[in-house]
Amino acid sequence: MTQEYMKEMKPAYTMITIMEEAERCLLCHDAPCSQSCPAGTDPARFIRSVRFRNFKGAAETIRMNNAMGSVCARVCPTERYCEYGCSRTGIDKPIDIGGIQRFVTDFEERIGMVILEKGPAKGKKIAIIGSGPAGLQAAATLLTKGYDVDIYEKNDKAGGFLRTGIPEYRMPNHIVDVEVKRIEDLGAKIILGKEIGKDLSMDQLKKDYDAVLVAVGVGKPNILDMFNGNEYAVPAVTFLAEAKAKEGKVDLPDNALVIGGGDSAMDAATTLKVLGVQNVTCVTRKELVDFRASKEELETARAAGVTIVDGYAPSAVDGKVVTFKHRKLNSELKIEADLIVLAVGQSSEAGGLGLTMNKNEVGFEGYHAGDNVFAAGDITLGDKTVVYAVRKGKEAAEAIDEYLGGK
Amino acid sequence: MVRKDLSVDFLGVHFENPFCLSSSPVGNCYDMCAKCYDEGWGGIVFKTIGPADFLIDEVSPRFDALQKEGTPFVGFKNMEQIAEHSLEENLSDLRRLKKDYPNKVLIASIMGPTEKDWEELARLVTEAGADMIEMNLSCPQMTSHAMGSDVGTNPELCKAYCQAVKRGTDLPVLAKMTPNITDMVPVAKACLEGGADGISAINTIKSICNVDLNRKIGLPIINGKSSISGYSGKAVKPVALRFIQQLRTGIPGVPISGIGGIETWEDAAEFILLGSTTLQITTSVMQYGYRIIDDLKSGLEYYMEEQGVDSLEELVGVANENLIPAEDLDRDYKVFPHIDQDKCIGCGRCYISCYDGAHQAIVWDEEERKPSCDEDKCVGCHLCVLVCPVGAISKGKVVMKPGREGSPEEKAI
Repeated sequence: MTQEYMKEMKPAYTMITIMEEAERCLLCHDAPCSQSCPAGTDPARFIRSVRFRNFKGAAETIRMNNAMGSVCARVCPTERYCEYGCSRTGIDKPIDIGGIQRFVTDFEERIGMVILEKGPAKGKKIAIIGSGPAGLQAAATLLTKGYDVDIYEKNDKAGGFLRTGIPEYRMPNHIVDVEVKRIEDLGAKIILGKEIGKDLSMDQLKKDYDAVLVAVGVGKPNILDMFNGNEYAVPAVTFLAEAKAKEGKVDLPDNALVIGGGDSAMDAATTLKVLGVQNVTCVTRKELVDFRASKEELETARAAGVTIVDGYAPSAVDGKVVTFKHRKLNSELKIEADLIVLAVGQSSEAGGLGLTMNKNEVGFEGYHAGDNVFAAGDITLGDKTVVYAVRKGKEAAEAIDEYLGGK
Repeated sequence: MVRKDLSVDFLGVHFENPFCLSSSPVGNCYDMCAKCYDEGWGGIVFKTIGPADFLIDEVSPRFDALQKEGTPFVGFKNMEQIAEHSLEENLSDLRRLKKDYPNKVLIASIMGPTEKDWEELARLVTEAGADMIEMNLSCPQMTSHAMGSDVGTNPELCKAYCQAVKRGTDLPVLAKMTPNITDMVPVAKACLEGGADGISAINTIKSICNVDLNRKIGLPIINGKSSISGYSGKAVKPVALRFIQQLRTGIPGVPISGIGGIETWEDAAEFILLGSTTLQITTSVMQYGYRIIDDLKSGLEYYMEEQGVDSLEELVGVANENLIPAEDLDRDYKVFPHIDQDKCIGCGRCYISCYDGAHQAIVWDEEERKPSCDEDKCVGCHLCVLVCPVGAISKGKVVMKPGREGSPEEKAI
């Protein structure tokens, strides 16, 4: 079962099938796909390159715009963005843009293509706190502009949520390694195992660097009060991180209950099922019609055999037995499980770094937090997806560049 | 279910259906031919038999294919020459095939470097039981320039070889033409004068299919080198149809066995409508196997049903009269495209092609993502019709050009 967990679930295109998929693309005049990527990706351009067999050109189009191109190819909820307006839908179904991007970025990796280049040195140093997608993208943008970049990561490996929060079958660590290495090769220095505010003070950082970018994400799991001290309960992010770090070799219960309806809930439920847990039930407060998880994730969970019950919120817990009540109907549900996975959101710890926070988000528009401090990623306003993290990373880098006079 | 009689009579020989293997790797020995007959083909042109002393020595690898997007085998290049088995083996296979399949048509393809060889080979295959002889005057990849397509461009030599074959046999004789020539008619006429009874067209086109960009060698690579050789498959169909039309125009009523890129019953019907009585196929068999005969036959039967004909011979050449010289075409009117806005999915391909490849007559509504036709600019070329991926553009209003006589309603658009 760990074998299945360790293998990418979606098969990769081959040199033949990629041409078939590229041939399906209508090569629109005013391609809607290229107008709807939060990170500014231009699928119409790179699919056309594939169609005319210019794979290197395709890789360039992707990479120049997005330092996380291989990651986004795998985890972006494309059905909401580029594939949403795809003209091909008028015939049958959208072009598999994520799949084509994955083929192209895999090709880029296979031939060892180096696309991004460091800009002429500006002699200015930027510290980035956090090595998730926002931090990495910001680093890439700053490096191409000629800044020196140090990234501080509290864990012993870079990648942030990509490395710990998304299961291997969807986001292989090998791909995270490749993306990180590209940015290191571009000139980023990554300092591992150093937590700002603990091992090193924020004030020191502000003094040592021309600018500091806080991109720490929203990684601290929330716990519903009723589960405090419950020996069967574990936060989804904790479970996912352990499964990923141990390559799927974790102790498994006979039955598992997942509470929550977001992407992490789907990932945890699917991971449990893929690893061989007999019964996995996911109970979500929201009803499926206004589900938060991406459609693809929901479908993956269902295909893996996860039972999804919607509309119920937990009302009481007694050891391993959880009682749920329907939000609208007079209905109750009792589920007993050996493992209770809580996927009920995460919080930010950015407040400890002196940022004005409003719950999990910064209390200001844009990226400039004051002084020489900036913010990016999930703690800033806007969507909390990887593709948005990339966009915010880019925009924050631009804001820093502007703050430092572009010189 | 429709069942139609697909049989044809061609040069006095009865074929249960017009589909034959062309002389090539697909009909190279008894077992292959037996399987092909069993699967329902009407006839086989056995792989070309040469003189006993001409040794065949093939290269490895020997094929290449042209691809387009996800489509392999748009065109196919092969370097094989004629049958590599000994003359005695080939004759023995012919005898066995005729004995085991007396009702199937067996055509012996032959080729020799001298008149004496042609005459002798004709005599031998006649004795072996062939129903018909096809003279291979057109293989473009022979290692001897006294044989193959070099011969097929020389009318005098072709005529002399036809006369020689006729001295060796009383069977009907087909002369197989090379397309590596500007005008096939003089060669075909010379062959008929020399005694040939019908024409097979076309053999393969001299080609270089692909070049290895790193090694800078054409494909396939044979110890660091490659050669020009014959091109076939779907891509050559338009060239084949053109030669067949020209043969029927230059030599009215000439019996033709049509060859060149036939894959589907529709391709087959086109060859028939332009004057072919029998049809020969190789490339699609190499790609898909003899089983393609099922849909060739069934599809053609349904077509006969739709056309209300009981014999394929009623269809032979009926499209010839509708192909006329360009100077004789009616140039007095134009047909505007009709855009079905319900079918349109707003991709804008018509707009791009019209702007960049035609007359800037498609107007693009950027808000609505919908095209419309500017009739002041439209010349009625219908490039938009061809590029539309959903078939939303069709022939619309017909108008006479300014100052021209005639009525738009009477035009057969």
